Amino acid sequence: MAKGVAILVGTRKGAYVFRATGARKRWKVEGPYFGAEPVYHVAFDPRDGSSLYAAVNSAFGGPRIEVSRDLGKTWKTAQNPAFDDPALTFKRTWHIEAGHASQPKVVWAGTEPAGLFRSDDRGMTWTHVPSLRAHATEHEWSPGAGGEGLHSIALDPTDPKRISIGISVAGVYDSADGGRTWTIANRGTRTVMPVPKEVQHHRCVHHLVAHPTVPGVRAQQNHVGTYWGANGGWREISAGLPSDFGFAMALHPGDAETAFVFPLAVPERLAPEPGAAVWRTRDAGKSWKRLAGGLPRGARLEVLREGMSTDRLDPAGVYFGSTTGDLWASADEGKSWSLVAEYLPQILSVGTATLA
Amino acid sequence: MPRVNVRLHGVFSDFAGGARSTTVDASTVGTAIDALAQRFPSLRERLRDEHGRLREHIGVFARGEEIQHAGGESQAVADGDTVHIVPAMSGGG
Repeated sequence: MAKGVAILVGTRKGAYVFRATGARKRWKVEGPYFGAEPVYHVAFDPRDGSSLYAAVNSAFGGPRIEVSRDLGKTWKTAQNPAFDDPALTFKRTWHIEAGHASQPKVVWAGTEPAGLFRSDDRGMTWTHVPSLRAHATEHEWSPGAGGEGLHSIALDPTDPKRISIGISVAGVYDSADGGRTWTIANRGTRTVMPVPKEVQHHRCVHHLVAHPTVPGVRAQQNHVGTYWGANGGWREISAGLPSDFGFAMALHPGDAETAFVFPLAVPERLAPEPGAAVWRTRDAGKSWKRLAGGLPRGARLEVLREGMSTDRLDPAGVYFGSTTGDLWASADEGKSWSLVAEYLPQILSVGTATLA
Repeated sequence: MPRVNVRLHGVFSDFAGGARSTTVDASTVGTAIDALAQRFPSLRERLRDEHGRLREHIGVFARGEEIQHAGGESQAVADGDTVHIVPAMSGGG
């Protein structure tokens, strides 16, 4: 039985940890940590149950990764990820992912410029995985509005050699050999701009997620479409959603056909009328249901790519944070929502730690 | 070798564990920065990127001038000079 949940919130001005018991009704805030600095992501390590990894992307002093072994009470600065190529300079960390359960010291980080880094000492030092940038398409990767970032790392829950990453703008790349070689994995996804049919990269993946326990189940929110992994490629599941655009996406930890998204209208990139809502599928994207119980009517919120997450309780908790600094939680799989915190700085990321 | 004062301002003092100033032996601004980073290893990656380049958004002043408008890191310093490391007045938010 879980003791509780912590919501890990990265904002434009620091990181916060909100804790509650398994009932998820009353939240106690800790932080802010790194108060003046943008925190793009805070990742929990479920393998030891106590480590957090924070992507602190400060203008002053440059980007860095901070590591906590006590759920945020204290932090230690890691040695920076570093590119060997003098044309590439580590500018920010977009995503940190605890490694496979069978590799308890391995942690992955995705950076800008797009690079995959591996740590073999639980986040304290980082080694570039050069094979990815050695891919034949690398010279055609291009920055999206947020920069050329490797923002998603999705691990197969059973095979530690199977790793997928998402780069804007390049798309999804898969490795089946632990990151030694990579193949393009965008079949079935549309392109923002017309490209020749043979071009299988130049896809604008916004967020890629893999199921934490069921192998082969993955999904992505793209610049053009929402997709479910199918037969090594992608099946578009945008039908039934109010927009094919958005950033945030999260999978249900216990049901491999349930996912949550937060669609955004274009060009304004805000929740479409009549306002903020999470949309849930329970059948791998064949149908969708709008979930807005308790959310403010008419509030056209914006949620960024790391801005939504689920916990591992039953029923699953769902959480999202807006760029207006509102943190929302649902303890009943999206049916009803309550405000955890408001007037936070712009929320860049929402993660969870389910505490045993 | 000239003895040079180095003063840390704002967040750079925080990165050095709260130290506000120190004295190093250096003949240029660049070697003063390197000596500073040797004394406070936590400053090393905060001052320079992985290729040894001075990071953006750092103002380094010596002899009353920002070094980018003078001799850069190769600007000579003399006994008793002070090098200031300042968070640059840049950006917003």
